[in-house]
Amino acid sequence: MEEYPEELRTPPLTLASIVGYPELHSLISTHLLSCQPPINTFALPHFSKINLFNNKSHHPSTTLLTGIFKRDWLLKHRSQIPSVLAPIFPSQHVFGDPSHWLQLCSDLDSIKTVIRGRNIKLAVVIVQTNAHDEVSDDRMIALRKRAEVDAKYVITLNPNDNSELKQSLNSLANIFSELASAYYREEGRRIKQRIEKKNVSSPELIVRYCFKVAVYAEFRSDWAEALKFYEEAYHTLREIVGVTTRLPAVQRLVEIKSISEQLHFKISTLLLHSGKVTEAVTWFRQHKNAYKRLVGAPEATFIHWEWMSRQFLVFGELLETSAVTTQSFSPVISASKPLSDWEYYPAYYYQLAAHYLSEKRAALELAISMSETSSEIDCVADSVVPSVYVGQFARLLEQGDNVEMLSITDEEYTRYAVSEGRRFRDSLEIIALQKKAYESYSSMKIERMGSYCGFQMGKEYFTEGDIDNAKQIFDSIASLYRKEGWVTLLWDVLGYLRECSRKNGTIKEFLEYSLEMAALPIKSDIGVQRDTGPAGPANLLQRETIQKEVFDLVSEASGLATNEKLSNFKFTGGESLQLEVDLVSPLRLVMFASVAFHEQAIKPGTSTLITVSLLCHLPITVEIDQLEIQFNQSDCNIFIANAQKPQLVEVSGIQQHRVETVPSLSLESNKWLRLTYDIKSDQSGKLDCLVVLAKIGRHFTICCRAESPASLESLPLWTLEDSVQTVPLKDPVLVLSGQKSTQVEEQDPRVDLHLDASGPALVGEIFMVPVTVLSKGHDVYSGELKINLVDVKGGVLFSPRDSEPYSTDSHHVELLGISGPEGEDDSQLDPDKIKKIQQSFGLISIPFLKNGDSWTCKLEIKWHRPKPIMLYVSLGYTPYRDESNTQMVHVHKNLQIEGQTAIVLNHHFLMPFRRDPLLLSRNKQALESDQSQTLPLNQKTVLIVSAKNCTELPLRLKSISIEADDDVGERTCSIQHANVELSEPALIVPGQEFKKVFSVSSDLNISKLRLGTMVLRWRRDLGVGEKSASAATSSWVMMKQKLPDTNVELPPLIVNLECPPYAILGDPFTYYIRILNQTQLLQEVKYSLEDAQSFVLSGHHNDTVHVLPKSEHILSYKLVPLASGIQQLPRFSMTSVRYSAAYQPSNPSNSVFVFPSKPQFKNAASTNFRVESVAAIE
Amino acid sequence: MIICVAVVGHQNNPLFIQSFTEADDALKLHHIVHCSLDVVDERVNNPKKSGSMINETFLGLLYPFENYKVYGYLTNTKVKFILVTTDLDVRDADVRNFFRRFHAAYVDAVSNPFHVPGKKITSKTFVERVSTIVKSFGLSSAG
Repeated sequence: MEEYPEELRTPPLTLASIVGYPELHSLISTHLLSCQPPINTFALPHFSKINLFNNKSHHPSTTLLTGIFKRDWLLKHRSQIPSVLAPIFPSQHVFGDPSHWLQLCSDLDSIKTVIRGRNIKLAVVIVQTNAHDEVSDDRMIALRKRAEVDAKYVITLNPNDNSELKQSLNSLANIFSELASAYYREEGRRIKQRIEKKNVSSPELIVRYCFKVAVYAEFRSDWAEALKFYEEAYHTLREIVGVTTRLPAVQRLVEIKSISEQLHFKISTLLLHSGKVTEAVTWFRQHKNAYKRLVGAPEATFIHWEWMSRQFLVFGELLETSAVTTQSFSPVISASKPLSDWEYYPAYYYQLAAHYLSEKRAALELAISMSETSSEIDCVADSVVPSVYVGQFARLLEQGDNVEMLSITDEEYTRYAVSEGRRFRDSLEIIALQKKAYESYSSMKIERMGSYCGFQMGKEYFTEGDIDNAKQIFDSIASLYRKEGWVTLLWDVLGYLRECSRKNGTIKEFLEYSLEMAALPIKSDIGVQRDTGPAGPANLLQRETIQKEVFDLVSEASGLATNEKLSNFKFTGGESLQLEVDLVSPLRLVMFASVAFHEQAIKPGTSTLITVSLLCHLPITVEIDQLEIQFNQSDCNIFIANAQKPQLVEVSGIQQHRVETVPSLSLESNKWLRLTYDIKSDQSGKLDCLVVLAKIGRHFTICCRAESPASLESLPLWTLEDSVQTVPLKDPVLVLSGQKSTQVEEQDPRVDLHLDASGPALVGEIFMVPVTVLSKGHDVYSGELKINLVDVKGGVLFSPRDSEPYSTDSHHVELLGISGPEGEDDSQLDPDKIKKIQQSFGLISIPFLKNGDSWTCKLEIKWHRPKPIMLYVSLGYTPYRDESNTQMVHVHKNLQIEGQTAIVLNHHFLMPFRRDPLLLSRNKQALESDQSQTLPLNQKTVLIVSAKNCTELPLRLKSISIEADDDVGERTCSIQHANVELSEPALIVPGQEFKKVFSVSSDLNISKLRLGTMVLRWRRDLGVGEKSASAATSSWVMMKQKLPDTNVELPPLIVNLECPPYAILGDPFTYYIRILNQTQLLQEVKYSLEDAQSFVLSGHHNDTVHVLPKSEHILSYKLVPLASGIQQLPRFSMTSVRYSAAYQPSNPSNSVFVFPSKPQFKNAASTNFRVESVAAIE
Repeated sequence: MIICVAVVGHQNNPLFIQSFTEADDALKLHHIVHCSLDVVDERVNNPKKSGSMINETFLGLLYPFENYKVYGYLTNTKVKFILVTTDLDVRDADVRNFFRRFHAAYVDAVSNPFHVPGKKITSKTFVERVSTIVKSFGLSSAG
């Protein structure tokens, strides 16, 4: 696009001219340029210069036609011929001195004469520097008459008044654009009339007129009309291709093409700018098709191809620039000529531009070779220049000052064109174009098109000798062809790459590319190719040739290549060349190794079989001199020597290794070479085959990564071939499951590990688990015991959520320590012996044990929660003293241990017998839920603590006590017998309950009572050893449980039932009911006493009494028992009116034993005791 | 005149490619067929852009390149047929007809019990049949 002149590339701007008063020129021209649409200004400082417009040469264009467009016509209209001319007069010239006025009039006259011939519009600008200058209407009218302009075309400017100046400049711009559009319209109409009259002598003139009309339309921004006339000009031009005979044939075609190019460019630009992408693309296609066949004379075809190339390039550039503005387009699929999406991509055009440019180059080379000596061409070309007409060339003849243009013959022109063409390096241009296309396609992820561009680009680089760039591009596109299996394309690319590496002298790459080529699946000729590139024709013969060349090269012992092609490469002495073949390498085709162990796991020292299979796709059988199979355990490496070439095996340093000899190591094309050997390893762990090295000749090695048959990836290109697929092994099971590595197991342990645990563990106690290591055939060196405690359900032995009661020890089960065998103390342990204990993990080293010895330790484990755990103990040791052999042998044992709660503590409160306080809150609670207990104030309450053995073992109890909480400052109650120890540890058998009675009383006037913590000391009953062990040698387990806080309140009423401890049948006794009012208020009490069957009763059944404050009311009844045995007393119930609280005594307190006759007690005291104890148990 | 036909597999690998031209531009035709796969991909991935092409095996003109026109056809098993012609004026109906016959020949070739799906087609019968179809291309419209 850059080769086009500026005036063609940009839309034309209106041109206005101002004359005189140069001080204002820059102000006016800047303002006009900033208008919308902008106006260019052609400023003349003085009136004398206006004759510039007058130099129009009046050629009678109809008579002598020499060209279609003048080269400078458009430029002239854009920069020299204004549409409007505005003289600027200072106001004092207009309204002042008559001498000035006269001068002004003459200036105006001269302007008028100049512009009349061209129809240029006139406007007058008066500059009024002083606002108070007088303005004479007469002079104004005179001026308008003189200038023959309307009143509105006379503008007054005042440069000193900013606000007014702005306004007048705007009106100036408006008037200019109005006049300009009138000018261009009239000019256009004038020329249009010429076309419409149909009396135009030649079609060339029609083309010219149409072009002019279109340009004038463009000046007025009438794009539709411009487009219409450009198209008309274009079509008219196309019609005269075969008709006109004005010029010699070659030049005629050149001129027509140049003009059509200009017209086409204009049309495309207009279409694209108005967003009509589809139309533009369609138009381009028509343009291309219309001129594609107009190749012209055979000696000048390169001109045609160059022109074609330029069409594509320019359109591509136009499309690219417009694509920024018009993003979305929808291809219209018309039925007749569908457009493909591809025609919307600029890259497509660049690609084709490059293609035509290479056509041009070929044609040009032909033309050069056909023409005579080059010096002659040059001297001819010297004086040829572009003529005044577009697309024409002429010889410049200088005779003194006189310059003359002479027309030239076709032959001269061709020579000129050839010499011009030789000046350009087309390769660089082609590379640039292909690169543009390549990058554009790549950015759109259009890989294959991009690759084709890359291929062309690489070819150009290659011919240019830019090997590095060529290689880089070829490498990148080769991978795509490899991936998709386009063998013929890959072949060609590899051919170039091979040549590149040959030129660079990189022997390794040369070998890689050559071998890959030789191994490609090409069987028969795909057709004779003329343009084959350096690869040569893709066929079997060529593959064989390449392979031979490579193997000749590597087998040259001396390093002097006899082949002249390969003389670039030199082996320096002793240097070896190794090609790596891994899973992704394209050289897998060349050689590929599959390794399978016949067993997945072996014992150390026992042998198993290993099969190594090699496959090669090279066309000629390859003789391998030596194979080396390498493992991760280098002791196992195997060397396989070819018996036919024995001298090569004697490489130093391999004597210690295993060397096998086979009669022949030849790899036939596409046939597996299978070798099976036995192998054994003494070292446990993984035995992995790493690589298989094939040595060919003295210096050349192919290193194949070993692959498992089970996870064998098929060879990329050969799988697509229609040939029988072979497998690396004959054994069908191994083919599916064979692995290139095997597991060497460790030795069987000959050591026993015992874990003994006696029954379940109890929460709180330190539980001992003895661990015994017993050697049975192995010495134990550097033994190590690992202990792990694991939750049976899985998961850790720790839960942060419910850690409240045991906040200090967050683990539910804890490994406290490991005590060594008897007599061994921790301090005596060697410093290098490890002993590490964490809460659920322990590590301890054990001393050297001879065969038959044993060693014991004890694990101390403490449970904080009842929980089953799994105890894992593992022993690792080496059976040999040898330091180097660090093969550990492992023994594992595990044991599940239950954790149980030993003792469950309970407690409850009791009131004194037959004495009931009215506790208001308790009544309320009865309705809701009995959450916490309430005790009466100032009253003694009995607290019974019971401890129940929940285990299946007898336990010994040392003490039950209630201790005050540490965090409470003072005790809020007094507890009797709180810290009294049992005289002798009590035995509790499984299921038995042990009780202890405390009495609690509180006289502080508080609402909450903190009772403290129950503390229990116990241990397991040691059975027979109990007597001896009781002397505090064995530790007592302390168990604590906090007593809940209780409420205390003052009961307003206390009811006391008084009756004798027993009654005798028929013997009357008195039953007192005392109602004690503890309040300061008078209490009204309703009571009732129900009849009982066993008693005769005297007294009120129902009544209401008033109990005075702080006093007691006593109800007394006489009762006569009628039946013996335990009998229910008459039921007493009472309601406190004030508190609306009813009271009923509990059942046990409401019965009495009736003897049939007066009993004879031996001892009154014992009777008393019995009755009390009965009460206590209840 | 048809100068090249090709069958392209799932991985965009060539299964069959045959050129019918005296000029030695077989390699170039391979390139053109390979490039046309980009267009097929684009068509298949953006069916909206190309209008009512959904469920249509015939892909129409893929792209014009130099003097060639490339047409495409996509079978239900996602095997692509590519046709390269030098004719300037090709009728869609002719191309459709060609592809229909070519498809039939392909189906017969891969139905051979000895043919492994996904491998190159080497059947001689197929080659002969394709040559016949190629030779008769456009004749129906002419006659």
